[in-house]
Amino acid sequence: MGEAAASGPRATDALDVELAEEGVAVYSRGRFLTLMGVGVAGVTVTGALWAGGADAAASAPSAAQDQKILNFALFLEDLKSEFYADALARGGLTGEVRQFAQVAGDHEQAHARFLRKALGPHARTRQTFRFGQLTRDRAKFIPAAAELEELAVAAYNGQAGNLTKAALGAAIKIVSVEGRHAAWIAAIAAEEPAPRAADPGADVPEITAALKRLQIR
Amino acid sequence: MTIDEELELAQILREIDCDGALEETAAAALPRTRRDLLKAVVGAGTAAVGAMVGARGAQAAPTTSRGDTAILRFDLVLEYLQAGLYTEAERIGALTPKTLAWARVVGAHERAHVQAIKGLLGSKAVPSPSFNFRGVTEVEQPFIKTAVAFEELTGALLKWQAVRLDSREIIAAVATLHSVETRHAAWIRRIIGLQPATKAFDQPAPQRQMARLIASTHFIARRPKMTRKARPRYTG
Repeated sequence: MGEAAASGPRATDALDVELAEEGVAVYSRGRFLTLMGVGVAGVTVTGALWAGGADAAASAPSAAQDQKILNFALFLEDLKSEFYADALARGGLTGEVRQFAQVAGDHEQAHARFLRKALGPHARTRQTFRFGQLTRDRAKFIPAAAELEELAVAAYNGQAGNLTKAALGAAIKIVSVEGRHAAWIAAIAAEEPAPRAADPGADVPEITAALKRLQIR
Repeated sequence: MTIDEELELAQILREIDCDGALEETAAAALPRTRRDLLKAVVGAGTAAVGAMVGARGAQAAPTTSRGDTAILRFDLVLEYLQAGLYTEAERIGALTPKTLAWARVVGAHERAHVQAIKGLLGSKAVPSPSFNFRGVTEVEQPFIKTAVAFEELTGALLKWQAVRLDSREIIAAVATLHSVETRHAAWIRRIIGLQPATKAFDQPAPQRQMARLIASTHFIARRPKMTRKARPRYTG
C-alpha cells in the first residue's frame, strides 16, 4: 500500500462529537466500516486488489496528489461499472432493482470516462474484476450494491480536504450522485436511505479492506 | 427580482449578516442600482445586530478566515430554517405517515447539522432568526415541494461553497454533510415517485440562488422575537 497515510483533516472527528451530543447516530470511521461489513470470516485474498501504489491524502493538495486520489476514484468507478454491467447481464434483475442497476451503471461509466479523460496519460489501465455470486444472485446483489455505494461516498468524502480546488470541484459533483445511489438502493432494500447525519470519510486501506470482505477480486 | 423581494432579502441579510460579508456576496449578484438600494437598507440594520452578537462575545476563532465564516454563517441560517421546517411538521403531525417518517429522520439530521456548524463557527455563530412557515408544514403538497426545493438546492449550494472555502478541515467537515443532503433529496424523490438519481453529475448552484429561494418563501419573519427586552421604540 506504499507509504502510510499521514493524518488528514480531522475536523470530522469534532463533528462526530457534536452530532453525538445531538443524539444522532454517528459512527467513527472504523465502526462505520464494521457496521457496514458483510461477513468477515473465511476470507482469502490472493494478491492486492488495489495495486495503485501509495495511499492518497498524505499532505497538502497538489497535482501529484490529485492524480493518486483520482486514480483510486477511477478504480472504484471501474469496479462499480463492471459490477452493474455483470449483474444486468447475469443477475436476473427485474423491476426497480434492474432500473437502479441500469441508471447507476450508466452513471458509474460516465464517472469513469470523466476521470480517465481528466487523468489523461496518468490514468490507470482498466482491470477486470470477479464478483462471484454478488452479481448472479439478487439477494446478494442488493446488499453488495448498497455497500459499494456507501464505500464510494466514504472514499470521496475521505479525500475532500486533500484535493486541489479544481479536482474537488469535479469530485463533489460525483459524490453527490453516489449519495443518491446509496439512498436509492437502501430504500429498495428497506434500509435507512440516510442512516447518519454526516457521512464520514474513509481512507484507502479501509476501502480496500471492505472490498476484500466482499470477496471482490 | 422585484423591489419587494429585494427588500425582503435585505431584511434577511440584516438579521443574519453580522460583518457585512454576506451582504457583499448577495449585493454582487444584483445590478448596480439595486445593489446600492440593498446596501442602504442593510447598512441601517447591521449595527444593531452586530451589537446583539457582540454581546454574546464575538471573539474570532483565529483559524477561520473571513470568507469561511461568511459561508458557514449562511449555512447555519439555512440549517436553522430547514431544522425549523421539519421540526414544526413533526410537531403538528398533519402530513401523511410516510412523509412524516421522512421528516422525522431528516429533521434530526438538520438539527445535528445546526449543532455541527455552530461548533465549526464557535463564537462566530449567529443566533437563529424566527420563522413563520406560513402553513407549509401542515399541507402535504406544499410541504413536499418546499422540502425537495431546499434539499436539492442545499446539495447544489454546498458544491458551490466547497471550492470557495479556505480551510481543508472545514472542507472535509462540510463534505460529510453534503452527501447526506443529496441522500435526503434522493429519498424524498423516491417517496413521491420521481427517479432518485437522474444525472451522472450534480451541478453546483451559487449562494445568491439560495438567498433568493429563502426570500421567495418569506419564511424568515420580519420581526425577530426578542427573548430578553423589547426593541427600543423611536420616541422622538
